[in-house]
This record gives sequence, structure tokens and C-alpha cells, in this order.
Amino acid sequence: MKLLARTNRYYLGLSALLFVLGTGVLYTGLQHALAHEVDEQLQQQRTYLTERIRVTGALPTITMPQELTIDGPTRSESLRDTVIFDPVEHEAVPFRVISFPVTVQGQRHWLTLRKSLLETEDILKVILTVMLAVMALLFGSLLLLNQWLSRWLWAPFRRTLKALRGYQLQQPQSLVLPATPIDEFSELNQAVAQLTQRVAADYRALKEFTENAAHETQTPLAIMQAQLEQLVQDPELPERAVGAVQHVYRAALRLSRLHQALTLLSKIENRQFTDGVPVQLDAVVQEKLRQLQDFMEAKELRLEVGPLAPVSAVMHPGLAESLIGNLLQNAVKHNLPGGLLRVHLRAAALEITNTGPELRTDPMLLLGRFRKHNAASESPGLGLSIAEQICTYYGFRLSYSFIPAGTLHTLRVTF
Amino acid sequence: MYLLAAHWPAAVAVVFLYSVKILIVEDEAPLRTTLLDFLRHSGYICEIAENYEQAHEKIKLYQYDCVLVDLTLPDGSGLDLVRTLKADHSLAGVLIISARGSLDDKVQGLELGADDYLQKPFHLAELNARLRSIIRRRQFQGQRHIMFRDLTIFPDQTLVLVKDQPLTLTRREYDLLLFLLANPNRVLTKEAIAEHIWGDDADMADSFDFIYTHFKNLRKKLQEHGADNYIRTVYGLGYKLETA
Repeated sequence: MKLLARTNRYYLGLSALLFVLGTGVLYTGLQHALAHEVDEQLQQQRTYLTERIRVTGALPTITMPQELTIDGPTRSESLRDTVIFDPVEHEAVPFRVISFPVTVQGQRHWLTLRKSLLETEDILKVILTVMLAVMALLFGSLLLLNQWLSRWLWAPFRRTLKALRGYQLQQPQSLVLPATPIDEFSELNQAVAQLTQRVAADYRALKEFTENAAHETQTPLAIMQAQLEQLVQDPELPERAVGAVQHVYRAALRLSRLHQALTLLSKIENRQFTDGVPVQLDAVVQEKLRQLQDFMEAKELRLEVGPLAPVSAVMHPGLAESLIGNLLQNAVKHNLPGGLLRVHLRAAALEITNTGPELRTDPMLLLGRFRKHNAASESPGLGLSIAEQICTYYGFRLSYSFIPAGTLHTLRVTF
Repeated sequence: MYLLAAHWPAAVAVVFLYSVKILIVEDEAPLRTTLLDFLRHSGYICEIAENYEQAHEKIKLYQYDCVLVDLTLPDGSGLDLVRTLKADHSLAGVLIISARGSLDDKVQGLELGADDYLQKPFHLAELNARLRSIIRRRQFQGQRHIMFRDLTIFPDQTLVLVKDQPLTLTRREYDLLLFLLANPNRVLTKEAIAEHIWGDDADMADSFDFIYTHFKNLRKKLQEHGADNYIRTVYGLGYKLETA
């Protein structure tokens, strides 16, 4: 919900509440004041009449029977409300009534004075009309004001938002936010600018770290590897040393491969591959299949290629090779002897299907790092993680499906 | 597992008619000495430079057949050395060796005119094979065939003669033979051979078995043509091509 709509909702709620309260207070107050005024008038008239009767010694003539009547001595002295039917308007009208005794020539008479009260309904009508009008006016103008404010006052906020949306960590220049005279927004801009600067610095540090780590690790490994290769050239090398050297040599190679794989993974995660060029994926598939030929022949795999549509994707060529290579290698490696390897490349997706033993674990777990089906394998088990990272990087989707009939595993890259 | 190493065509060996001069630019002392030792043993005349300044001075003063450049030097970038060489229209081949493995460096290096790029760590035999390939490509006046004992090979035609009789080899057998010929009298580890032949696929489970099978077939074919038995198995380690 928009901030404006939410504020308006609260404004409306508050105004409605105030309106009800105001109406109530105004109504009771007004009625009370009016009643008081009428009472006062009645008391004045009583004083006047009593005085006149005392002076003249005669009862006043009745001209308005609605307002003054003279009765026998049955009444008690009172000031009260009553309702009298108005034959003209055909409705009951509220009256304030005062009854009091007077003595004329030794005889007691009861005089009753009546005064019509303003009808409650009429008062309410007036009050409601006025209050509603005021409220509508108030709320309407608030809406307009808010709308204008949100367009004008919030403009810097929107500019900040737009700048943030367009911001990319890899860009060399830092985020530039326009100055604003409003304290809150200028504080926000300051905080955002600081944050992006910090994140960018971290990113650069991380990038440098991966590059340096790669360099610092690969150099000693290169020294180890070269020295060991020189060592085995020595014909005098005792036989028991050969085994040890070989183990160290293999371990160094393994470490180097592992390190290269991890460096590649972190580089993809850090989005350090920016330049994409159109890569013919069908050509990459064919090239990779050719490279794997020995391994496919050894397992006597049945290779079904096709359709192999001329699909082009904008990718880093190295990453395209790595993605397809890892998927194909996986399909060959985990295939059964005499099994099937099927490759389909369409504009929408690349599908690689292979026969293989049914997985006991969740297949998507195999995409995790260092997950391997066969724990004893020398491969670090990063191939599918790399493939998945590359997919994520380019917004492709890597999915797995299994058909029990024929135990067919399919990895699909949806472009 | 596939990393980013691209595949270069199989290296092609030559028998040098005259001494080849190489400049090794590498700041890490142990690696520099190993490279010097190895390349001298392989028959090259080598000079070394420990840093950018030394290297720059040497390439300005002397002519080399090939320069081996490490990209990260304490006082400069190896890429600038490549630039200098190209600006001077030097005839020297350039082989970049780098630990950064950053693809941008590789692309940039090759765009600048380097002949090849090798990522650290590398197999010495692989380095030698690449070097020979660069030198062969540069020396057009050089002999275009390789002679080794009773073998003659014409790499341009992928033709192998044993005692002047043509020998039919599979692609892999041919690649293996050339790799051996690039590194005579040297134990080639199975790991180095596997990486030379299959690149990123080298760590597939069966690759050593394939090497064994391919070598068995290669030897059998050579013997059938009456060739001497110069491919020796070094137990547990790998193979060696014996010159005598």
C-alpha cells in the first residue's frame, strides 16, 4: 500500500471520530443552552404576570391558549417538559412548561406558561450539515495537499530510489545522489552513499583477495609441482622415495585443481565476469563431446545427439565452455557401462540425459559443494556447483528430473 | 571437472638446428631456478631476469627466440613487457606464465600478441611442448620435420615414418608420440600426459587406463614396423622416451 493511501486512511479515521464526538458535544451543549434560555424566559414571564395580577387584581386575558392557560386549583407548582400535538403542522412539538399559583380576590388560580422548544431533529440536522460540510472540506483539502506534497516533497526520495536501482557494484564510480534541502532525505542519502561506498570497498577488497589468494597459492604449488617433476628425473631416486614423491605430487595437483575451482566459484559469485559475447552453444557442445570421446568409448556409451539447434547465448566464452563441459562430464562420469547419453539443444533449453544408478539422496543436494555420489572419487565434486553458479549468474535455471523406467537422469538448463 | 583452461592444439616438436635462446622472467627464486635447470637440460640457452627492470633492460639489449613472462612482477606487469616486445617489432615468441588465471589477463595477453598462455602451476613437459611449438612456428627457415632415431615425422602432414615406412596412428597415439618427442630423455608423469591430452577432463577416473592402453598400442605398432623400443615405462610414475 502506498504511504499516501495509508496516511489518508488514518486521516479519514481520525476525522470521522472527531466528527462524531464534535456533533455529540455540540448537540448537547446547544440543547442545554437553549433549554436554559427558555427557562429564563418563562421565569421572567411568571414574574411579570404575578406583578401585573397583583397591581390590576384581575386575571390576564387569554389570547394564545397554547402559551398561557388558567386552570382550577388542581395543579402543583412545576417546571417541566411536555409534548403537545400541533394541529397545524400535524406533529408533536416539544414544550417547556411552567405552572404556578396566583391569588385573585382571595381565590387561588393556576397559571400555566408554555414555550415551544426548538425541535431536536432540526438542531441535529443543522449540526450534521455543518459538521459534514466542514469535514468534507477539511478532508478534501488534506487529500489535495498530501498529493501535492508527496509529488513535490518526496521527489528527492524517488530520485534516491532510482539512483539505487541503477547502481551496480562493479561500476568504478561511486553512487552520486542529488542534494536535497530536507533533512530526513539528506540523511538518507548520506547513509545510502556511505553504505554503497562501504559495500563497494568490501567488494573491491574481496576481488583483490581472490586474485591475490589465487596468485599466492598457485605460485607455491607451481614451485612444488616443478620441483617434484625435476626430482623424479633423477635415476638415483630410491624406489621407496618414488611412492612418496608421487603421493605428494598428486596431492599438489589435486590441491591446485581444487583451488582453481574455488577461485572460479567465488569469481562467479562476486560477478567478476562482465563481458559477454554471443557464444554458439551447439559448437561448444560438439567440441566438448569430441574431447570426451575417449571416455565415452571406454564406457561404450550410446550417444544420441539431436536436435542440436544453432543456439547462441551472450556469455563469457570460458564460462559457456565450463558450463557445458561440466554437465557433459557429469553425464559421462556417472553413466553405466553401455549406457545412454542424450544431448538436446533447443532455443529454450539444453537437456543432457544419462542412464545411471538411482540416487539415494536429494539430487539437488549434489549441486552443493563437495557433494559427490562416490565419496572416494579424487574429483573435488565441484563440477555441478560450478554449473549451477554459472546458470544463476546468467539467469538460467538448472533443473533435474528422473525417469525410473530406464533410470534416466536429466539435467536441463532453461535459458 | 571443467575449469577455465582453454585447449591449445597439441604441441609439435622440432629438432633444433641451432641453439635457441630463451629469457626467463620470473620473480619467484625457486621456480626460476627450476625453470632454468629444466630448460638448460632441454637444450636451450637461457638467461634470467628477476624483475621487470632487469627484463626490460635485457629485451631492449638482446635478441631472444622466446621470452617466458610471468605477469605479476614486484616492480611491474609482465603485460608491459609484452607491449614493449611488440612495440619493438621483436621476433621473439612470447609465452605468458601466470598464477592469476584471470581470464582477462589471458585474453589481454594474447591480444597483445603473446603466442601462448600457461597457467601456474603447470607441468614442465607441457611448458616444453608449448615452447617448441612457438619456436617451430616462428622459425620458418627451420626444418619442418622431426627426426628421432628411426622415426621421421612431418607434423604438417601428420605423417609418421618408421625406417621410411609410413605408420598409421590414431589421433591420441600421434599426440602422445609428439608429446614424448618434445621431451626426450625425461620422465613424463601420467598426470602431465593426461592433462596434455584431455585438458580439463584429465581428472576423469579412467584417464590413466587410457594412457596405458594408448601407449601399449603405440608400442605395438612401432614394434610391428621394426622400430627400436625407445618408449620406456617408468614404474609408478609414467613414461620416458630414451634417446639411446
